[in-house]
Formats: sequence, C-alpha cells, structure tokens
Amino acid sequence: MATDETYKKSVEDAIANPKLSKALHLFGDAYLIARENAFKGLDFEAMRTELAAMKDDVRIRRKELLAEFIKNAEAAGSKVFIARDTKEANDYVIKLAKEKGAKLIAKSKSMVSEEAHLNKALEAQGIRASETDLGEWIIQLAGQRPSHMVMPAIHMFKEEVAELFTKESGTRLSPEIKTLVDHARQRLRKEYFNADIGLTGANFLIADTGGIGLVTNEGNARLCATLPKVHVVFAGIHKLVRNMEDAIKITRLLPRNATGQLLTSYITWIRGAVPVSGEQKEQHIILIDGGREALYESQVCQNALRCIQCGACANVCPVYQTVGGHVFGSIYISAIGIILTAFYEGLDKAKEITRACIGCRSCVAVCPAKIDLEEIILHLRNEVTKEYGMGVVKNIAFKAVMKNRTLFHSMVRAASKLQRPVTQKKSGGSERRIIRHLPLHFMEKDFTEWRDLPSIAPKSFRDQFNTILQHVTKPLYRVGFFVGCGADFVYPEVGVSLIKVLNALDVEVVFPKGQNCCGIPALYAGDTETGVDLAKQSVEAFTEANVDYILAICPTCTMAVKRDFVDRLADHPQWSAKAMALSSKTMDAAAFLENILGASEKLRAMDLVKDSGSTKTVTYHDSCHLKRGSNVWKEPRALLMASGHQIKEMKNSDRCCGFGGTYSFLSHPQISRQITKDKVATIEDTGVKIVATDCPGCMIMLKGAVGKADETIRCAHTMELLAESLNENY
Amino acid sequence: MPAPNKHCIFYRVYTIKSRRQCMTENNTARYTARFIESARRVGAEVLQVDSLQDAVTYIKDKAKGTALVPETSLVRRHHLRALLSEAGVDVFTEKFRNAGQMPGTGVTFCNFCLADSGTVVLESTDEEIRLATTLPELHFILVDPATILEDNLAAVEPMTTFHQGHAPKFIAYITGPSRTADIERVLTIGCHGPREVHILLVNGISSDLFEN
Ligand code: SF4
Ligand code: SF4
Repeated sequence: MATDETYKKSVEDAIANPKLSKALHLFGDAYLIARENAFKGLDFEAMRTELAAMKDDVRIRRKELLAEFIKNAEAAGSKVFIARDTKEANDYVIKLAKEKGAKLIAKSKSMVSEEAHLNKALEAQGIRASETDLGEWIIQLAGQRPSHMVMPAIHMFKEEVAELFTKESGTRLSPEIKTLVDHARQRLRKEYFNADIGLTGANFLIADTGGIGLVTNEGNARLCATLPKVHVVFAGIHKLVRNMEDAIKITRLLPRNATGQLLTSYITWIRGAVPVSGEQKEQHIILIDGGREALYESQVCQNALRCIQCGACANVCPVYQTVGGHVFGSIYISAIGIILTAFYEGLDKAKEITRACIGCRSCVAVCPAKIDLEEIILHLRNEVTKEYGMGVVKNIAFKAVMKNRTLFHSMVRAASKLQRPVTQKKSGGSERRIIRHLPLHFMEKDFTEWRDLPSIAPKSFRDQFNTILQHVTKPLYRVGFFVGCGADFVYPEVGVSLIKVLNALDVEVVFPKGQNCCGIPALYAGDTETGVDLAKQSVEAFTEANVDYILAICPTCTMAVKRDFVDRLADHPQWSAKAMALSSKTMDAAAFLENILGASEKLRAMDLVKDSGSTKTVTYHDSCHLKRGSNVWKEPRALLMASGHQIKEMKNSDRCCGFGGTYSFLSHPQISRQITKDKVATIEDTGVKIVATDCPGCMIMLKGAVGKADETIRCAHTMELLAESLNENY
Repeated sequence: MPAPNKHCIFYRVYTIKSRRQCMTENNTARYTARFIESARRVGAEVLQVDSLQDAVTYIKDKAKGTALVPETSLVRRHHLRALLSEAGVDVFTEKFRNAGQMPGTGVTFCNFCLADSGTVVLESTDEEIRLATTLPELHFILVDPATILEDNLAAVEPMTTFHQGHAPKFIAYITGPSRTADIERVLTIGCHGPREVHILLVNGISSDLFEN
C-alpha cells in the first residue's frame, strides 16, 4: 500500500537525521527540570483532577454553556457564528474579508486554523494571511506544517531560518538567533499596521462573561487584536469554560506544564467590541465544531476534549523524541495528535500513528487534563485493526497460535530446539542464551543487526516447576505465580529466583498450569478477540487455585490481571465477577514483598551484607508499566538496598527502554532501536556494571542492547539479585 | 505574620476593619518581596522608589524617543504627563496611532499585581492604553504596593467584578518583557512586545484595584 510505504520511508528518513532527535532529547530533559520547578509547592495531582472534573462538567452542559457564551458575547457587541465544519468557518472569513475589501489578514497562532487549512483557502481567493507568531511565520515561509503544538518550528535550526528570512527579505541575515528575532519584530510590525483584519485563536471561551482569553509569550496576539479594525476569533467549541475562575485555574496549569513558566508573558482577556480609532471594533467569533461533537459523544474517547493543548504529551514521548512531530502526528502532534487525527481527519489518516505508540504511558503521567491517552490510543488501534486488519504476520501469530495454549507452548518448545545451533556461548553466566538470528523467519530480516535477541530457554518455567522443592513448614501465605511469557520461555531463572526468595520468607508458591499469556501483546496488536480468550483461560486457572495472592514478575502481566481482565470480560458477567475477585489480590512481586510481607526489614535482619562480605552497586531501570502503571518504584529499591546493594541512579531512570512488546520486533523496529540507544548511554554513564529492573520485556531489550555495547554490564531482574544475596542457608 | 483566615482567632477582629485595610497591614510587605523576586526572575527591572518624583527621574534617565502616556484617571490625578514633560521626557501629545510603528517608550499605572508570578494587571479597554503597552520598546509601569495580590487565584474576584455587566473589556496580564523560544528553543527577549519592562513601586498612588 502506497501510504504504508510513504510512512515507512518517513520513519526511516527521520531516523537517518539524528540532529533533530538529539535536539528533541535535550529539550525533553530541560523541559522536565523546568516543569518540576514550576510546580514546586503545588499539588499537580489535585490540580489536574479539578481540571478534569471542570472539563467534564462543561462537556455535559455544553449546549447550555454555549448558549450562555453567545448571549453574553452578543450583548457586548460581538458577532458569533457557529461553523459545523472547518469549511463553513473558512467561508465565513472569506465572505467577511470580501465585504471589507480586505487584502491582508494578520494572524496569531490558532491550531484550529491549521486544521481548517485557512491560509490556503484565503490564498485561493487572493487574500494574503500573514502568520505573526515567530514559529508559525517560519513554517509558513518554509511551506511546512507545525511539528509541535507550542513550538511549531521546533524541528528547524537557525541556519535554515536565516536562509528563509534572507530569501523573503532579499537581505542576507546571519544565523544568529537575536538577529533573526529582531528581523521578525521589524518585518511583522508592518503587517499589523497594514492588515485589514486581525485573526486570533482563543484559549478560553468564558461562558458567563462572553469573553475570550489568549495565552501568549511574544505579544503578537495583542497586536493582532488591537491594530486592525476587525478582529476575528477562530476557536474550537471545546475551549468553553464556565467562568473566570475556571479560566484562571487553567492559567495556573497551562504555562507551567507547557514550558515550565509560572505564567506566560501575556494573558489577554477580551470581551466584546472594544474601541478602535474612536469607533467600535468589529469582533467576529467563529466557533468551530469540525468533529468535536462526535468526539464528545464517543464514550471511550471523549476525555480527549479535556485537552488544553500544552504540548507536554509530545515533550515526554520517546517516539516523538525519536522521529519528531512530522512523522508522529498530523495537524496535532504525538499522543493527543493520534486521537484528534482519527476524529478530525479520519481513522484512515491515523492508522499508522496509532501503531507507532509504544505504550509507555509517559504522556498519561504528565497530562494536566488527566486524559488516559494511552488507553484511548489502544482503543483506536483496535478500531484500526477491525477496519483494516492487522497485516498477515500478526494474524498468524496471535489468532492461530496464541489462542491454543498447547499449540503455542509446543511451538515455543520447537523453536527452542531449532535455534540451539545458533545460540552463542558467552563467558558471563546468564548471558549465554543469546542468539543473533531468531528462527522465526516471519520477522524482519535486519532487526537482529543492532542488538542481540534472546533465545528461548531450553526448558520453560512451566516445565521446571514440578522439579523445584519448596521447604516451607509453616507458610504465612500461599501465593499463585502468574509467570507471563517472558519469564516462562525466555528467563525461567527469574521465576526460580522468586520461589527461592519467597520460600526464604515463609511463603509457599503455587503454579496453576492452565494459565496462558496475559494477552496484552495480542491486544496491543489490536486483536481483542484473542485477548478475551486468553483472559478466560487464566481467570479459570487462578480461580481454581484458590490462593491468598497472585504475583507476577512482569508489570505488564500485573496490569493485565489486575485491571484489563475485568474490562476485557465485561460482556461476560460470570467471567468478569471472577476476574474482579482475582484483581484485588493481584500485585507485582516487589510490591508484595515490600508492602505485604515487609521484606526489607526481614532481609535486613538477616544481615546479608555481612554474609556476603561487601555491598554491590547496581543502577535501577524503572519499567514503564511498573512505575506508571502500578506506581511501584520505591519497593524494588528498598528491597535491593536491604539485601546489600547500593543504588547509583541513572539519568531519567523511568524513561522507556524501547521495548513495547511486539512493537520493537514487528511494527516499529527502527524507532525502538533509537530509544534503546539512549537508554544504553545513560546506563553506561553511571559506570555501574549491574542494571536491575523488574520487567522481562525490559530485560530482553537491555540484555540485548547493553550486551552489544559493553559485555561487562549485566542486566538482571530484582528477584535474581535478591535470590543471589540469600546465602546457602535459605 | 500569617495571612488572616477564617480559622484564625483574630479573624473577627480583622473583619471589623475593612478587608482591604487588613490585607494592606499584614500582607503588603510579604507580597511585595515576593513580587519583586518573581518579576525579576522573568526579566523585569523592579525598583522601589520614595516618591512619584523619583520615579519620574528614573524614567527620564532611561526613556528612549517619544513617550506614550495614556490619559487615565490616575495619570490625571497625579499630573503624570506634566511631571514627565517638566523632567524633560518627550511626551507624545497626539493620537498614539500617529506615533509611528515603533515608538520608544510607554508609561502607565496599573490596576493590580500578582506576587507569585511577578505579573502586572492592566485594564486596557481604552485603545490608547493598549497602544502604549504593546508598541513601544520600553514600558514603565508605576505600581502601588498596596495592590499586590498573592497570586492569580486571588485575582478571580476582581477579574469577575471587572466583567459585571456587558461593556466591552480588554484586560492585559503582563509578566516581564515579550519573549520567544521559537528558534532552537533558545529564550530570546523582545519578540513583538516591549523589550524592557521597568516596574517602579511607589507607595500611596492608589489602593483601588479598579483604577489605573
Ligand atoms: S504511551 Fe508513550 S509512546 Fe505512546 S504516545 Fe504516550 S508517551 Fe508516546
Ligand atoms: S493531551 Fe494532555 S498533555 Fe497532551 S497537549 Fe493535551 S493537555 Fe497537554
């Protein structure tokens, strides 16, 4: 398919241009620091919960509030027009411009005008629109579209800007930022004075005043709204808020979360037709639906309209940092861009980018409107799959094989035998089972070039379990172990370690054999049907086992059993009741050890450091799903320290490692590769030789990539390190 | 001294006095210090002066080109135009649209300020105020410390009051000079609005939040 090919090429081009990715990484790092400072002393969680509730109330009462806004705006002399789609909005501006004999429109930033392709529509009628926001002007001159919602020209470098300005003005300009900004100041000043119409967006439409609010830094919106005799406001209907208090509360979140500023240089509140040259200004407010009503009506996706367009979901996204906004987005960028593209431009336009999300949930953690972006993206991916299919590879893997537990497991066993001849021998213990060519030839040819792949263990955990002797005379608890595919087939030693640790602390482990894959890989690939089937198999197995707790050593599995099974089985009441009962007793092994057993105190009492003679230094990688999915990150650190380890933190320990399940193998190996490179570099920077983590997925990624970069660095699961600290007596 | 609140045993005593008076007595010093720090952090020059005359002298020393000084009620009451002219500032006397596209200086009072972000709030419905605060290279703002509020939450009340009725309104929050980071994310001052913002704190101008 042509679009697939074009998309694939755009990904490759972006990766071939490391300059942009480097700049976006620097920006992402600086952003996190600035943001943290800006929120000092404030309760971000409480603030965003309040914003979400406010936006939800607006959604429910939108008809009434919109009517109130219109009534108040008209009473203050504004003209209000509701445009069902962006074409109606453009036509209104064109008609108005013709009535006024307008030749030039000075524009300040309006995302919805990008959505409407307003400039192009005006141009076709012989009306020139001049962007006055510096970034927007740059990309207008370059004939491009924004690659970030707050910083539209973030992908360009000063040399390119100098080139553009030189071409436009006919005088050579040096690539110095100060010179370039000064040039824009002088040059655009003329436009405000000559323009017949000033056009702005609106950050708020305030129902009980009938006024708008504009949040800017440069001061161009104030000039656009002041100098020309006609002011046009171009805004999406979702910018509605109830009153001044709502708007002011958003101004406390928006700049802090967008750029780490306490407030932007200017916030401008305009209500009605203010005076201009001794007369009354004409103010036209165009309220645009353009797919928003449909989005409001979508139960699953409606929260996306809580968005206040701070751009943060892009700033922290590893995929955005790797390929930039022109690849990972359309008009709107990154996580929110995927959703809005699907609704405003059509599912077809969003089909590749819904698959490009790696599922790390960084965007969810940082969103000031508390939108579960990842959840919505996942839903859209399912829609894409329903509509367009999954592609042959995933169909075979998930539909035919995964659903049939015995077939899946025997195929894995067969693969394990097949690969053995190519397995490499390595000196350092557990690293030996690494292959360079996985015998599953349906995978892409070139993807083993950049990192080693794990081979499948000769004996899976499920085949080993019966041979493990447990000596627990008086068990405190009986726990069921949900092994997950990673620990079952690739790293069974993690499961063995877990049993050793639990036994030492008087806990008995049960392994229900009927359990199957948690189904997340199938779901991520958009195959809901297989997901439901797999959930039923595991729910059945664990219900029968009747244990005190269910533990997983893979955070994705934990999330699946704890949260997703219940949702996934919602249409089957007798199943979802069982899933619910399991949910409350499911947790990650580290969380169980620390929070239920109080293991770090017990381990400290065992005085393991004295036994082993010295402390070991490790650095810790937070897996995305463990930290942001289950809020577990203190626990493994506490356990490691209690068992005689010292922790030297790496930079951005909670940034994604690039795994994302089948993502790294099948759908976006190139992007994943870039993200992993960053991770490896931060690990190497610590100078520490052991990386601990609590996720087999991260282990696959890190063992492979770290191993290739530096053979002396070892990656291990926290449970392995704990087991090693226990001396022979335990 | 902590801000009086409903749980404070002195709350009743405080409320016997007017609320404004109470705020002035207890918070002005604290908010002023915070305001100065925050406004400087965002690149404004902030100076405490003893009298309006001292402020005028400061403006005279720094001003460039012609000065746009909109005729507001405080400007009239304090004879600001006359004071500036006498000090030798070139005060522009025509309609500000005739002052060229890049006038040198703007001088205004303000309505109130926000301590936590270093913001000045200026009701600018009169077009001359808007021109005097958006076009010039330098903007001098005279502030009475008694009008410094704690933060933008404290501004909800006066902002709501401003919007009672249906009259057209244009209110500007100004936090430091104009800035951009649109080229290579490098913070650069003076994009479209004033390059320099000078805030002069003078006691006794007016403690009325609705007057400028
Ligand atoms: S979940 Fe991660 S990869 Fe996906 S959009 Fe959010 S930040 Fe980006
Ligand atoms: S989705 Fe959330 S984080 Fe992303 S731009 Fe909107 S408000 Fe900001």
